Amino acid sequence: MSVNRTYLLSLLFLIILIIFWEGVVRVTEVSALVFPAPSAVGLVLWEGLTVGFLWPHIWVTSVETLLGFTLGCAIGFVTGIILGEISFLRKLLWPYVLASQVVPKLALGPIFIVWFGFGMTSTVVITALICFFPLLENTMTGLQSASPDQRTLFRMLGASRWQTLLKLKIPSGLPVVMAGIRVAIVLALVGAVVGEFIGGSAGLGASIITAQGMMDSTLMFALFIVITALGMLFYQLTSLLELCMLKGRLEVQDK
Amino acid sequence: MPIKGNFLKIEAVSFAYEEPPVDVLSNVSWSIATGAVHCLVGRSGCGKTTLLKLAAGLLRPTSGSVQMLGSEVDKPAQEVGFVFQSPSLLEWQTVLNNVLLPISLHRPIKRADQMAAEELLQFVGLADYAERYPRQLSGGQQSRVALARALITKPDGLLMDEPFASLDAITREELQDELLQLAALRQTTIFFVTHDIDEAVYLADKVAVMNSGRIVFSTDVSLSRPRHHEQRYSPKYNSTCLNLRNALTIQ
Repeated sequence: MSVNRTYLLSLLFLIILIIFWEGVVRVTEVSALVFPAPSAVGLVLWEGLTVGFLWPHIWVTSVETLLGFTLGCAIGFVTGIILGEISFLRKLLWPYVLASQVVPKLALGPIFIVWFGFGMTSTVVITALICFFPLLENTMTGLQSASPDQRTLFRMLGASRWQTLLKLKIPSGLPVVMAGIRVAIVLALVGAVVGEFIGGSAGLGASIITAQGMMDSTLMFALFIVITALGMLFYQLTSLLELCMLKGRLEVQDK
Repeated sequence: MPIKGNFLKIEAVSFAYEEPPVDVLSNVSWSIATGAVHCLVGRSGCGKTTLLKLAAGLLRPTSGSVQMLGSEVDKPAQEVGFVFQSPSLLEWQTVLNNVLLPISLHRPIKRADQMAAEELLQFVGLADYAERYPRQLSGGQQSRVALARALITKPDGLLMDEPFASLDAITREELQDELLQLAALRQTTIFFVTHDIDEAVYLADKVAVMNSGRIVFSTDVSLSRPRHHEQRYSPKYNSTCLNLRNALTIQ
């Protein structure tokens, strides 16, 4: 089956699902508070985007996600290299790194609000903390990707430790690092939204809490759709980034 | 082949791992004259790769001495190129940059280096592949790039660890011929480790047999050069192979 046809079928599945949902809601006349009809959700979503009250929230959540993601990934990557390269530090710090990840980070939200106040900073910190670990873990694993022969080659060629890191270990580990980045971007959005639940005054997560307060389930569903779309957009962007970074080695023998 | 002194001189070398204590080599002596091609055959685990790594300076002997061009080898030797069992190319670099790696690690690439690399690629029949990536090449082509990379610094010697073992028979023969031609151009000394008797006899001036960490047999190969694949079917060739075959199983 061609790729295009699979796409069409998968779209068709969505349409059938929505029609079924609409039908069930209309026939059973279930309360919109419990289960709003897709048509109502679509209408709210359309209004939110055209009248424009959703855009500032989309902006806030996007900024939080990307800031936290960039910060967490950068720190995770650098820490991963340091711990990967210096086994003394790895042995010394690993239990603490692990503990910092086992702690449910969202449970740290309230203390972050005490430290950084309500608003963006707390959410960015939570998001960064969530992104930190996948990058750290994948960078450390990635640095081991070079084959024993490749390492010996670099020794044989008289490469310094620094050169071996920059020209062998990091490039050979890049696919693993990029996989970490794809995991991190998805977690980042979840982190930002849930971070806003705890301490946000603006953003899509904060809007969900507001909508809940107003018992506006229709708006909540509209927000779910926006968050999902945003997540898929971010994921696609990182996939694109990956494609650019790994150009050449993704191509296989063309005969 | 004229004798111009020893390129490599291994004297009474032993090598053992400490933990767990395993004797890998015991009292091995071997020397290779400049410009000669020597092959070392042995079964898996006999210590032949260890001897090659000692010659390269990647390992230090427990006792004995390894000298290259008259000086003791105590760190990875810069006078030789090393070719591994796997082509071990950097898959994120183009073929050309892979060939230039031994230079680019130490200084910026000049136009002359690039031309030298292109010339080597042309010699191994990969002139049109300079901008490709390793994964786009076949196994034989990757081995050719690895050979070009080992030769880019114009080394005095090549140390080769079963570099053609994973190739099909015809590709292997082609690479053996290319290797001999390239080595003859610059009188490159070759120390070639293999488990393939046929390969050893075809390439070498002299073949040594290693068994359980000792050199148990050696023979000169008195076939004319340049070698040609039809020599593989001559009686002299076959009797040399048979002698080596028998030597491989003596204890």
